Amino acid sequence: MPVVDVDPDALRGLTGRTDKTDEEFREDLFGLGLEFEGETDDGDLRFEFAPDRLDRLSVEGVARSLRYHYGDDRGVYVPDTNDAEWTIEVDESVPDERPYVTGAVVRGVDLDEAGLESLIQLQEKLHATMGRGRAKGAIGIHDLAMVKGAPLREGAERSITYRGIEPDGETFVPLDSTDELTPAEVLEEHDTGRTYADIVSEYDRYPAIYDELGLFSFPPVINGRRTEVDTESRELLVELTGTDQWTIDKMCTIVCYALSARGATIEEVEIAYADGATHPEEYGSDLVRPNLEIDEKSVTHDRIETLLGVDFEPEEIVDCFERSGLDATYSLGEEVTYDVEIPPYRVDVLHPLDLVDDVGRAHGFDRLEPRYPDAGTVGGRHERTRLEDAVRTSLVGLGFEDLLNFHMTSGEENYDRMRIEPGTGGAAVDGDGGVLGGGDPVEITEPYSEEYTQLRTWALPSLLILLEGNTHNAYPQDVAEIGFVAERDEAENTGVAESRHVAGAVARRDASYEAAKGRLQAVCDDFGADLETPRTDHPTFIDGRTAGVVVDGESVGVIGEVHPEVLVEHDLEVPVAAFEFDLDALR
Amino acid sequence: MRLPERQLAVLEAASATDERTMDEIAAETGLKPETVTGAAFDLRDEGLLTVTETTTEVAELTEEGREYVAEGLPETRLYRAAVDAGAADEAVSMGEVIGRADLAGPEVDIALANLPRKGFGTIDSGELAVDPDADPDADPEAAALETLADGGRVDDASVLDRLASRGLVDLAEHTTRAVMLTDAAVDALMEGVEAAETVGQVTPDLLASGTWADVEFAEYNVEADAPAVEGGRKHVLRRTADRVKDVLVGMGFQEMEGPHADSDFWINDCLFMPQDHPARTHWDRFALDVEPMAEIPEALIDRVETAHRDGWGEDGDGYHSPWSEEFAREVALRGHTTSLSMRYLSGYAGAELEPPQRYFSVEKVYRNDTLDPTHLLEFFQIEGWVMAEDLSVRDLMGTFEEFYRQFGITDIRFKPHYNPYTEPSFELFGDHPETGEEIEIGNSGIFREEVTGPLGVDCDVMAWGLALERLAMLTTGAEDIRDLHGTLADIDFLRNAEVSY
Repeated sequence: MPVVDVDPDALRGLTGRTDKTDEEFREDLFGLGLEFEGETDDGDLRFEFAPDRLDRLSVEGVARSLRYHYGDDRGVYVPDTNDAEWTIEVDESVPDERPYVTGAVVRGVDLDEAGLESLIQLQEKLHATMGRGRAKGAIGIHDLAMVKGAPLREGAERSITYRGIEPDGETFVPLDSTDELTPAEVLEEHDTGRTYADIVSEYDRYPAIYDELGLFSFPPVINGRRTEVDTESRELLVELTGTDQWTIDKMCTIVCYALSARGATIEEVEIAYADGATHPEEYGSDLVRPNLEIDEKSVTHDRIETLLGVDFEPEEIVDCFERSGLDATYSLGEEVTYDVEIPPYRVDVLHPLDLVDDVGRAHGFDRLEPRYPDAGTVGGRHERTRLEDAVRTSLVGLGFEDLLNFHMTSGEENYDRMRIEPGTGGAAVDGDGGVLGGGDPVEITEPYSEEYTQLRTWALPSLLILLEGNTHNAYPQDVAEIGFVAERDEAENTGVAESRHVAGAVARRDASYEAAKGRLQAVCDDFGADLETPRTDHPTFIDGRTAGVVVDGESVGVIGEVHPEVLVEHDLEVPVAAFEFDLDALR
Repeated sequence: MRLPERQLAVLEAASATDERTMDEIAAETGLKPETVTGAAFDLRDEGLLTVTETTTEVAELTEEGREYVAEGLPETRLYRAAVDAGAADEAVSMGEVIGRADLAGPEVDIALANLPRKGFGTIDSGELAVDPDADPDADPEAAALETLADGGRVDDASVLDRLASRGLVDLAEHTTRAVMLTDAAVDALMEGVEAAETVGQVTPDLLASGTWADVEFAEYNVEADAPAVEGGRKHVLRRTADRVKDVLVGMGFQEMEGPHADSDFWINDCLFMPQDHPARTHWDRFALDVEPMAEIPEALIDRVETAHRDGWGEDGDGYHSPWSEEFAREVALRGHTTSLSMRYLSGYAGAELEPPQRYFSVEKVYRNDTLDPTHLLEFFQIEGWVMAEDLSVRDLMGTFEEFYRQFGITDIRFKPHYNPYTEPSFELFGDHPETGEEIEIGNSGIFREEVTGPLGVDCDVMAWGLALERLAMLTTGAEDIRDLHGTLADIDFLRNAEVSY
């Protein structure tokens, strides 16, 4: 979940509530769903919140939400914008993987250290969330005074260019460096470059932003040092590049709202596409940004009432909308419907349902009285889990300790340590001489740990690992598990044949084939199943003391005394007799 | 008269003229003292013995008491140091004497309190004057300590009480029992008493022959520990799951079932999780190296894709995220059992469902988390949902209050939350039944129309999820989930975990 660090003094300033204590702010914000996590080293208050209201990723956005919460602001607010003086020219060389760009000019900026800090925080948090680690969208903020933009075409305004360049096609001095580096060198030599190298390293051409003096930004990796922003900066150029126009436009909007809350003026930029340059189709040919358009959605009175389970007057609902920073008008008729205006910083409203949630929050979900729904249904267990349970009860009655093991394991545990090999399955189950447990593994594509690389094909290895880990405890240790096993099977829609096996192991000084068979016989008797145990071979067990488990004429498993090599491999100093078979045999 | 062997032995060892203690009789008969006591009380009940009890106080030195036996009482040491400093002639400053007496810490206060009490001297304005005629060697408290240290008895109760109040001795009561033969016993002995035959075990022979009526059964030490018996037990987590299932079935829920390995379509896309959602990166899921899922209803795929790209309904917006059918068909281990809910709600798992319906599952899910005392890569998720016309947030609250009340969790709180698949959404909080600490006990909400719409459901569905292990840790008090679940489990822990029901 995202976190935001809030300077309480800035919050007092931005909300105008200079008398509020930190403690009071914490309580008020809890009501908005921001949970206090602790204080940062700088004395800021750190809050965690769900990743829907990304407009709250900075103190400015948090303050805006609080002003609505306090009733100091109502309805939709959109900052005024001045007409564009600057143009972002999009060249046809722009990398295909990252064709989109947006931006804004911000004037009259007066940021102190804390304000600058907050702006950088907002930028980084937006990168981490909507920007998907800068891959989907990345923000560059520059001191406009250091950008030299000559008109590219006659009659045009001042401009910069977004283009694609050869990895070693140009040099510039990146932030936090004094060296002239090419973009390719930045990816290798610069700390920030190495962090974000994966995003662009496969591109044929690297994204680059030029002004009259040359390259000054290498998005999404790093800005040039020339245009670095500091507390002296009064005018800013905000540019964003990414893989989705909507996403970078929204990120830009949130940044503009934050700077506007600090008293700055937003100025539009034009985005002009050269012939052959990719432009976002749904938005027409040339764009004017930032996009601060208001969105509209409709929701019916009835839907709000049924979903919240509360009767409302229309005025109450309009009030709730306005206290949520929305505007609503409604028409009385057969069905009352609200036309709701949604400000552009709200990235979370995808459906009228989201507006009902806003009404619920503004009304106060804690004011709702719980009631048990009046809908009669008949409950019941699934046949499969009832069978599992019945077999488990039989095993426990025979003295087995019921186990619950992981379904993920490694090839070493599943095959090697049991003296079997993958690809030898087909199992006794098919009666073709296959080895139970020898089915092909379902492997995890990119395993994170050597211990968990595949699903287990049988359950007995889990029982032996458990016995291995319990040699310090008293014997006898009779253990059993009815558990999930899986193997590769192209015939299945999922490519995975899933089944449940019944596995039991008797570990004690006098454990013998007979001890295991007696118990297996008892389980089969419980279910009226006919058991035969014809002699067979299985590498996990001792030759001549191994049998197939044939239930009602079908070969479903194996039983025997575990081979000494397997016992020694598991550090066991007592004999173990064991069986394993398919649960379905007892159906 | 016939008496059990050990009662006879006690009777024969007792005297008609002198009281004999249990210890004496034990020594004479070779029986254990507790056996003698048991037999003596039985004999008293038969009117053959009298039992008298004497209670004496026994004093034992504390560690501090033993220290003073070795070094002398602090007040004595102060007195002697004061005499050396000439305080017998004229008062001297306290600081000087204390230094000379080598008293430290609390000993100083002890010495200053007890010296005047014993009349060794007087303290006035920080100066100490001692009585030259006082004789610390004759101090009864010191003498009593010496006596106790040598294993002797001190009878002066006032001295003992004083020493006890100073924390130098511990006083304890000790009861001695003594027995004497009654007249009836003397008569019986004169007439002759025989030992009854005792047997160790009830045998088939004994029962068949009827001799059981004439024998005495050898007594056992019924308080002694017996050899451990290890019966089999259902796994503690299974028992918790059973309890959950009982509750849900009782509330009218049907159990769901479905594959552990499933396509991302059922696991995530149906849930309106954008394909570039952080939880869908390879870091969080366990993708499997099998072929993509071939069979998924085409019309359903189209509707789900539409919801993702364009939103659902007239005013719906989609995500501005990439969406590919290829990714949707990839197979992975399910990260939640909501995949089952999707299969059931769409009708793919069986019949088309008409409202009202209630469904649940308590099944395993797989998440790539860091293993720690509260997180496992595999755990059980309780998943439940209710489908009905016009469900409201109040119905959701009422249902979950009822569910959690069954586990002793009342006063449940609903914190508005965000999930990509539900709106409104709530995190559920409750108080730990024992510690009272506020804990998160689930996540819930009403499925978005972008979820239900493509599935063909045109009424409301509310759902919630919770890790079973979290509930089990609450009800069993386990502090490390790894003790419970998996091949690292300790068989002793499983055998000894308290049964919950």
